[in-house]
Amino acid sequence: MASTNTDHPIETPFELARAETARKPKRMGRLNRWDTPWFNSKLITGVVIIGLILLIGILGRLFWNADLAYTASSPLNLPPVGFVNTRGQAGTWEHPLGTENSGRDMLALMIVGAPNSFMVGVIAATVGMSVGIILGFSAGFLGGRVDDVIRLLSDVSITIPALMVLIVIQALLKQIELTTMALLIALFAWPSPTRLIRGQVLSMRESGYVLMAKLSGASSFDIMFKEILPNLLPYLAASFIGNTTGAILAAIGLEVLGLGPQRVPTLGGTIYFAIEGAALLRNMWWWWGLPTLTLAIMFIGLLLINLGLDEIANPRLRQASQ
Amino acid sequence: MTLPIKRISLTLMLILLFISTAIVVTAQDEVARADTVIFDIDDSAIPNPTNFNWMVPGTRRNTGAHQALWEPLFILNYETGQIDPWLGVSFTPNEAQDVWTLKLREGIKWSDGEAFNADDVVFTINLLLGDETATLAEAANMQQWIESVEKIDDLTVQFNLKAPNPRFQLDYFSVRIWGGVVILPEHIWAGQDPFTFTFFDLEKGWPVGTGPYRLVSSTTTETIWDRRDDWWGAETGWMPLPEPLRLIWVITGAEENKALLMSDGQLDSAMDMTLGAFEAVQAQNPNVIAWYDDLPYAWPDPCARQLSLNNAVPPWDNKDLRKAVSLIIDRNQIVEVAYEGTSVPSKTMFVQYGAMSPYIDAIVGAGMGINPEADVAAGQALIEGAGYTRNADGFYEKDGEVLAVDIISDETGIEYTRIVNVVVEQLRAAGIEATARPVASATWIDARTTGNFSGVFDWEACGSINEPWNSMNRYTNHWVRPLGERTPGDNNFVRWNTENTAKYTEIVDQIGVLPLGDPQIVDMVVEAYRYMYEETPIIPLTQAKKLVPFDTTYWTGWPSAENNYNHPATWWQSTHQIIHNLRHAQ
Repeated sequence: MASTNTDHPIETPFELARAETARKPKRMGRLNRWDTPWFNSKLITGVVIIGLILLIGILGRLFWNADLAYTASSPLNLPPVGFVNTRGQAGTWEHPLGTENSGRDMLALMIVGAPNSFMVGVIAATVGMSVGIILGFSAGFLGGRVDDVIRLLSDVSITIPALMVLIVIQALLKQIELTTMALLIALFAWPSPTRLIRGQVLSMRESGYVLMAKLSGASSFDIMFKEILPNLLPYLAASFIGNTTGAILAAIGLEVLGLGPQRVPTLGGTIYFAIEGAALLRNMWWWWGLPTLTLAIMFIGLLLINLGLDEIANPRLRQASQ
Repeated sequence: MTLPIKRISLTLMLILLFISTAIVVTAQDEVARADTVIFDIDDSAIPNPTNFNWMVPGTRRNTGAHQALWEPLFILNYETGQIDPWLGVSFTPNEAQDVWTLKLREGIKWSDGEAFNADDVVFTINLLLGDETATLAEAANMQQWIESVEKIDDLTVQFNLKAPNPRFQLDYFSVRIWGGVVILPEHIWAGQDPFTFTFFDLEKGWPVGTGPYRLVSSTTTETIWDRRDDWWGAETGWMPLPEPLRLIWVITGAEENKALLMSDGQLDSAMDMTLGAFEAVQAQNPNVIAWYDDLPYAWPDPCARQLSLNNAVPPWDNKDLRKAVSLIIDRNQIVEVAYEGTSVPSKTMFVQYGAMSPYIDAIVGAGMGINPEADVAAGQALIEGAGYTRNADGFYEKDGEVLAVDIISDETGIEYTRIVNVVVEQLRAAGIEATARPVASATWIDARTTGNFSGVFDWEACGSINEPWNSMNRYTNHWVRPLGERTPGDNNFVRWNTENTAKYTEIVDQIGVLPLGDPQIVDMVVEAYRYMYEETPIIPLTQAKKLVPFDTTYWTGWPSAENNYNHPATWWQSTHQIIHNLRHAQ
């Protein structure tokens, strides 16, 4: 049950947003369905970029043989169409983006690898955020001993150098699959959202609508997840995207060190094999360049989504950008 | 007053730090690049850089110790087929070939000035014979053959063998492959625990050796050796001092690193390189050469590559399944993809050197040669004959168990990863759920010797160069140990131990006592090999190649097909010959 009381001091960006909406009756307010902060150019551009990458991953398999992403499936070291490699071989339309030194087709690698790398980030961020939401809400809303324990756990966990621990764990594991890697990354993805959400909940806990809900006899669970959570959605979404970016970066870091899945094509794994195969020296720019470019585009897309969501969550940013 | 004192102290500390840094830098820089030879060594790190006890598993001796410090008794010359004398001048058997007499060179001294003599040889052999666990390096070999060893005089040692062995000198004292028994200085090792003594103390001048170099520093990534001008060889007039003043062995890591260093003239010798990287390096640094001037560039390494499945653990204890894997593997594709055409498929378990041709030809002639092309249908028929059916994922399954193999390999060499990746794809396409797992060298060795694996990529049939016994002996039942126990010398770590193994062992033991080149041997090899062929305890894949690039910018005299005084393996103990052949380029 959301409060409509505007007399209390404005405490959160969401109430600011609400207040701002209230100040704009002349622009038809919610009557104009196009006048919504969700129609944010950065957000839309970011979503389109990420959507395209995923679409290529999904539709690409229909038009291109994904099996070519595996060892010994194509001729070796071919350049992209229109280019010539150091041995004078020209690129062919059978492998339009070229091949690498173990006979993997670069187009197939991008089609299979990009969604794989993205998936690791999404799984890790989902698990990390879910744990973060539960713990953050519990700590912020319930307070007391629960808050002390959760705060202590998250404060301690956040100081652990995640990449170092992940490298050790990955090196010890027999086989690394994408989901295993994502879950391992998720182990270190919860403390940050926990702390941030706790802070937000702490500031919302004393809001009028929360107090009203308490007076109405709503349970703690209902207040946390039916009253406060919806108000935090844009913020959580932005945080989720940030977490996804961080998880993808962690996964890429492991893969580039050769600690990712051996066989499953990923962007980081492709860069690892390019380093191992002296691609830079051999002037095989397509081998390391294409996954790097795809990663760059993916990160730009995620950044735009993050910026867009930030603006939705924080009207001040929106006003500044206008 | 407190503040100025603090400032003065801080300033002094900074000055001291600067001076100490400068000293270190000076110590590192005092030898000019033109007087230094830099070798690359494949590994992720030197696990125990301050342990120079070469007998303990897990220590490294090929980061300069056995190339610059510990000289061998003899060196097998791959090009002439002769055994070149080094610390030893002769090693001769009696007529029955069960008593061997070693004559040492006169005037040899350890680096601490003590005389090297027969006492050191006798001490070393007795130490290895006394290892009840047979886990010290070379202990198993010594215990297999030597009944007793005795000093005749300061320069003469007599080895009394348990049985005739015509290969005794060749196999253990002649750097037949990689290294051999290193003689220990008795005056330092006497009374030490051979399992825990590290043989390292730079202040005392340890490790001690007879070679012309002394250890300057040893870290997890680099060892530095400086020339010792009081080397016995120069003093006695046997050989002049080698020209390089400093030798460095460095772990460069990924191929990209070694390629970049070599392009930039910062590496004189790389351990191995893929064809593409070599061509790229040569394009940037035309002074870089290899064994051959043209394709295939590479020198054929004596250790043929193979896949080993655990014969003692289901499902791979089933010989039909092992045979199926062998049939499914397309060796031509491995050569084409992993070696980019610089090697050839294996026909048998042996290295395909000219001297091995009579044995290889006889085996192939008897219908036991390996088809380099895959016969997937025949392999699948064998799997299905063993009761397996394909599941929804396309993998073979029986009683709810998927037919799977996790192939572990040494992570340090790109060659190994590339081969295993090809094999994995071939097996998966045929219905076996294969996975590749590159691991650290120590883990890889530990897993295989203790039997904690389902599949291993290795080259443990390595041994024979010019006769068949050495490789065959490695798969006899003498070496079989229960799972969890280490197999001596990594021999028969697949734990092939059937009735056929016993029959095979009987014949191989008979071959072992026949003189080298005895005409009976060919037929006996074929007979023994049949038992192996029927059960496929190991799956030979390809011959190995080593594309060893050398930079002639600073040094000439590197071994090549034209300047073939010996082979180019700079990680072997025979590197002493290479170092003595190097000359300043300008």
